[in-house]
Amino acid sequence: MEITLPLFGTASTTSDSTGLSVSGLVTPLNAATPWQLELPASGIFGLTGPSGSGKSTLLAALAGQRHCRGNITFANTVWLRGRRALATHKRTLSLGFQDSRLFAGQSVADNLALARRYSRRPLPEEECGRLLKAFGIEPLLHQPVELLSGGEAQRVAVLRQLFNNAPLQLFDEPFSAVDRAQVLRRLLPTLRDFWARYPALVIWTSHDFDEIQLLAQRCLWMDSANLSAPLSLPEIAQRLDSHGVGDSCRSRIEARVESLSDGLLTLDLGGISIFADRVAGHYRRGDTAAFLLEAGDISLSVEKPGLSSILNCLPVTLVAKQNLTDGRIRLQLAAADQMFYADISRLSCERLELREGTTYFAQFKAGSLAGL
Amino acid sequence: MNIATADWQALWLTLKLAGLTTLLLFIIGVPLAWKLSQWQSRWRHGIEVLITLPLVLPPTVLGFYLLLLFSLNYAPGQWLSQLFDGPLVFSFTGLVFASVIYSLPFMVQPLLAAFNANGQRLTQAAAALGIPPWAALLKVLLPASRAAIVSACALTFAHTLGEFGVVLMIGGAIPGETQVVSIALYQHVEAMEYGAAHRLALMLMGITTVLLLAARWLGYSLAPRGSNNEQAKPVMGVLG
Repeated sequence: MEITLPLFGTASTTSDSTGLSVSGLVTPLNAATPWQLELPASGIFGLTGPSGSGKSTLLAALAGQRHCRGNITFANTVWLRGRRALATHKRTLSLGFQDSRLFAGQSVADNLALARRYSRRPLPEEECGRLLKAFGIEPLLHQPVELLSGGEAQRVAVLRQLFNNAPLQLFDEPFSAVDRAQVLRRLLPTLRDFWARYPALVIWTSHDFDEIQLLAQRCLWMDSANLSAPLSLPEIAQRLDSHGVGDSCRSRIEARVESLSDGLLTLDLGGISIFADRVAGHYRRGDTAAFLLEAGDISLSVEKPGLSSILNCLPVTLVAKQNLTDGRIRLQLAAADQMFYADISRLSCERLELREGTTYFAQFKAGSLAGL
Repeated sequence: MNIATADWQALWLTLKLAGLTTLLLFIIGVPLAWKLSQWQSRWRHGIEVLITLPLVLPPTVLGFYLLLLFSLNYAPGQWLSQLFDGPLVFSFTGLVFASVIYSLPFMVQPLLAAFNANGQRLTQAAAALGIPPWAALLKVLLPASRAAIVSACALTFAHTLGEFGVVLMIGGAIPGETQVVSIALYQHVEAMEYGAAHRLALMLMGITTVLLLAARWLGYSLAPRGSNNEQAKPVMGVLG
């Protein structure tokens, strides 16, 4: 019988574990609790948890930029076995840093070109052009990187990583200095769209749960150097709430794409059409689109409202009511097997005499669907 | 021989010595400073002190030990004379050899300061994009340290121009071979030829001043001002 072992630092032809396999990974931070992790070869995974819990250390250890011991294998290639580690540049990954770390003394274009030149899977020219446009980097191409603002530098750093197109892409709070509206409306749909066409295993670290909700289906949780296995998004939301770090006032909703005309995207949510405008992603009929709905953007009516400039009107069932500390009421609503939250004033709640289990009509503007 | 011709010859020799020393030190200094900046060992301090020694030692001390090193009475001198096809004492080659050692800190210190400030962050970022270490040095670290490189080269060149003690100890004053400007100037003063001494001294002062001004201007223009990126700041610091 022939036994094939994963080779150290060389690609092997076995197909036992094409994804990321981490076992017994110990850094000075988690000496007592070795990290274990199994992830597939492609897919987007969030990584969140309280500050100082060890998220950046985990990424640095995966990239071989932190002293550690244990086992790391990716795509059947051994990166770490015991204390024997493969050099960072030989690992088929890219790591983005919180402080961007653009190459000083060079232009934005030089930075991007260098990342593409050393790519193991170079992107086609037209894809690079598309990304440049979507990230709004075209006007900055010939600027020295020293002259970029913090948000611009972060956008360039993420783009540099995309141009590198590594099979494993690690991001460490990449959009912390970028304008939120731009992230939700433009950058995240572009990223989701990009990774749908160029699959990679992505670990996206962020304190912003909105980012993770829009990009990932599952998320890793790190707390006091304890790393969880991938969890579902509601499980992560619960943990964030219990730590007081989360602000779950935006709900993630999924709907099927029906059509796109006049800049208005029509989505099917359990048989009811809803509309979204200012759409940035490339959608095809039948795609499943995920978006966020701000709790404060939703109004509730007892009877079906007449014609209104507010395009979206969704029959919803009131599941639960919760008093918020600021006097408002948070309503948990269900529509077509999906849950979302709406925040209304106590006065509205009393006037409408809202009762759990009853059907109402939730209204929201087409522009309030973020992340499409 | 016409004195003016000898002075021009001394000036040309000095410029040739400074140029060659700067070139050699650039080739030696860049990898040395880079390796030192990456080296996480306590031995590093010892090596750094050794490199810094020529800064603080009287040049005659260094010249004396180089004289011993080049002496044909000892093995290193014999080996060096075989390697360079002749004894290094009282030769231009010996002068270049001595200048490289003497001016080493002027090349390495500014580079080391820039690499210490930027090196680890940038080489880590480069490695994290699959860029191998040597490519990271050439394509990432050197462009980021342009201002420090200009500063290091200018300091090395200017310092070698004014070298006196070491040259006197191991080079002597052979016209066209080892008689550099500083030696010629000294000889003019000894012979009370103050006019010729003035001419040479002013020329050397002018060249050095112009060179340092040009380096400073070039250094500042290479490191963009009004920058809100911290990466540029340590490079500016090197230029003082």
